[in-house]
Amino acid sequence: MKLLIIEDEQSLTESIVDYLQREGYRCEVAAKLGEAIEKIMLHEYDCILLDITLPDGSGLKVLEYIQGKGKTDGIIIISAKDSLDDRISGLRLGADDYLVKPFHLSELSARIGALIRRKVFHGSNKIVFHELSIDVPSQTVKLNDNSLVLTRKEYDLLLFLVSNKGRVISKTAIAEHLSGDMADMLDNYGFVYAHMKNLKRKLTEGGCPDYIKTIYGFGYQWRS
Amino acid sequence: MAIMSKKLLDKTLRSYILFSILVLAISSPFFYFFTDKLFIADADETLVNHQKEFLTNNLPSLKEKDIALWNKINRDIKIEKPVSPIQKDSLFYRFYYDTLEDENEPYRVLVAPVSIEDKPYMFLARINLIESEDLVVNIGVLFCVTLVVLLIGLYFITRHLSTKLWQPFYLTLQQMENFELDKRVLPDPVTTHVEEFERLNLSIHRLLERNLSAYKNQQEFIENAAHELQTPLAVFRAKLDILVQQMPFTHELGETLSDLNEAASRLTRVNKNLLLLSRIENSHYIREEVSVRASVLKQAEFLREQAGEKKLTVQLNPVEPLTILSNLALLEIAIGNLLLNALQHNMPGGQIQITLQGKKLTVANSGIPSPLATDKLFLRFSNSSDGGSGLGLAIVKKISELQGWTLSYNYHAERHIFQIEFIPNHDAVHSNP
Repeated sequence: MKLLIIEDEQSLTESIVDYLQREGYRCEVAAKLGEAIEKIMLHEYDCILLDITLPDGSGLKVLEYIQGKGKTDGIIIISAKDSLDDRISGLRLGADDYLVKPFHLSELSARIGALIRRKVFHGSNKIVFHELSIDVPSQTVKLNDNSLVLTRKEYDLLLFLVSNKGRVISKTAIAEHLSGDMADMLDNYGFVYAHMKNLKRKLTEGGCPDYIKTIYGFGYQWRS
Repeated sequence: MAIMSKKLLDKTLRSYILFSILVLAISSPFFYFFTDKLFIADADETLVNHQKEFLTNNLPSLKEKDIALWNKINRDIKIEKPVSPIQKDSLFYRFYYDTLEDENEPYRVLVAPVSIEDKPYMFLARINLIESEDLVVNIGVLFCVTLVVLLIGLYFITRHLSTKLWQPFYLTLQQMENFELDKRVLPDPVTTHVEEFERLNLSIHRLLERNLSAYKNQQEFIENAAHELQTPLAVFRAKLDILVQQMPFTHELGETLSDLNEAASRLTRVNKNLLLLSRIENSHYIREEVSVRASVLKQAEFLREQAGEKKLTVQLNPVEPLTILSNLALLEIAIGNLLLNALQHNMPGGQIQITLQGKKLTVANSGIPSPLATDKLFLRFSNSSDGGSGLGLAIVKKISELQGWTLSYNYHAERHIFQIEFIPNHDAVHSNP
């Protein structure tokens, strides 16, 4: 999978590249608008991460360019601006998702994963991890071919963990992922423990090895 | 304030009234004195005239035997035998009993020695005077009537003048009263042709302009500062995410990293809310028909999940349908913040009651067992000690102000009660029966 990261803040780019490369993505980087358009012209990308505020112009021009050329690259806007206008104009110009800075890399990775599954596999995809199989479009989980009944939150949690397999994920990242918009206001991680406990129990009862490791004081990790 | 402030008109009128009363009060004794004097002088002159007339016309032909007849005919000019010999003319006051009026009447009396057929007689002429108490009463009535007429005149003249002269002033006053900094509209200066008012209006206009520009600057500064912080924050969080991948780490390091992460989260929250707050003030939001009920139910579901963790019970008292004309995003933020506030400042085992009845949304929660200080409650960062951003209620307040809702707080029966009174969209209710 090939990604293009268009972002002028170099240290942020480095971290994103570092995190995503471990997930097996091939990452290219552009710090300026001109450079970005040149790269898009020459290559096909599975996903483009796009910062709106670039030193030589608005990132929205990249969207216009892509739309004008009829390209189908998946695009996630990463912006420091959380304005409704930007969000709407970005999505109208063909962006697939919008992520407001500062974000957790685990959240970014999960969004990229979701976008690529939707774009590249046209939604008919399954995430398989040993005996576990997650059917994303129908939001169903099978464990050794037996269906596993999960609540909405447990399903989201499982998908988030599996999307970041091998990564250490902080409980703040999980809390924010699960509570969406409301997380901005919230300072409560208790519900993360509760959902995690229930998910672990359901997986173990279904005969799944305990892939969820607790990283004491910090968060969790999904690994075999 | 002990002294109530009075209107300009009242103050002017008070001075006028006091002055008028003073002048009339001081002048009335003088008036009485001079009137009396004048009257006496006139009476004396009349008496002397009567005497002259008598001396020239009647005395030469008067005989001693005619005296009784004379006295019978003339009521006020008598000829009497003197009790004691009198040498010269004298004028004095005396009371005579008046049989008709049945009271003693004051008279001015002239007594003069005359001789009739060489016998000494006493000429007595008298003239009835006005009773002095009558005079006092009459003067008093006159003066009171004058005072009343004067005051009525003054009142109407002053009122007319003050409304006419001071009209530009009252216009300016009204403009200043209606001026709201966060609406950012500068009122048109009132044009007058009075120099003082022109100066006043000009200085007020300049003052408002400066205020407005300072306010705009401050808003921009907050927004820019919050924006500029977003990128370093993003870098900080990303680096932290990378750092924690360097497994394995000790328990202590894990705790430290977790603390860092939570601090970064809190920083992010504060920053996002600051941005939100300045954006709410700076943007125009499209208004549409939105259902308060749907919004409450949606957010209450999220609240229930969070509340379970804190062992709180969430009660939905009747949540009735309510449609208002507003912005969905703003409505959701306001309701969300109100509910989160009830969650965050609660106690283990506590309750949250949500009621949507009529046009009022009420969120009541248990918590610290004493009322909160209402003067600081809705201010920014007035209560940021326990993990919240300190901006939640400030945001609710700001949204309510912009949308014209009434936000209130009170403490009743160990419940902290927050209430928003919406403006219902009656048209929408009628069109969707």
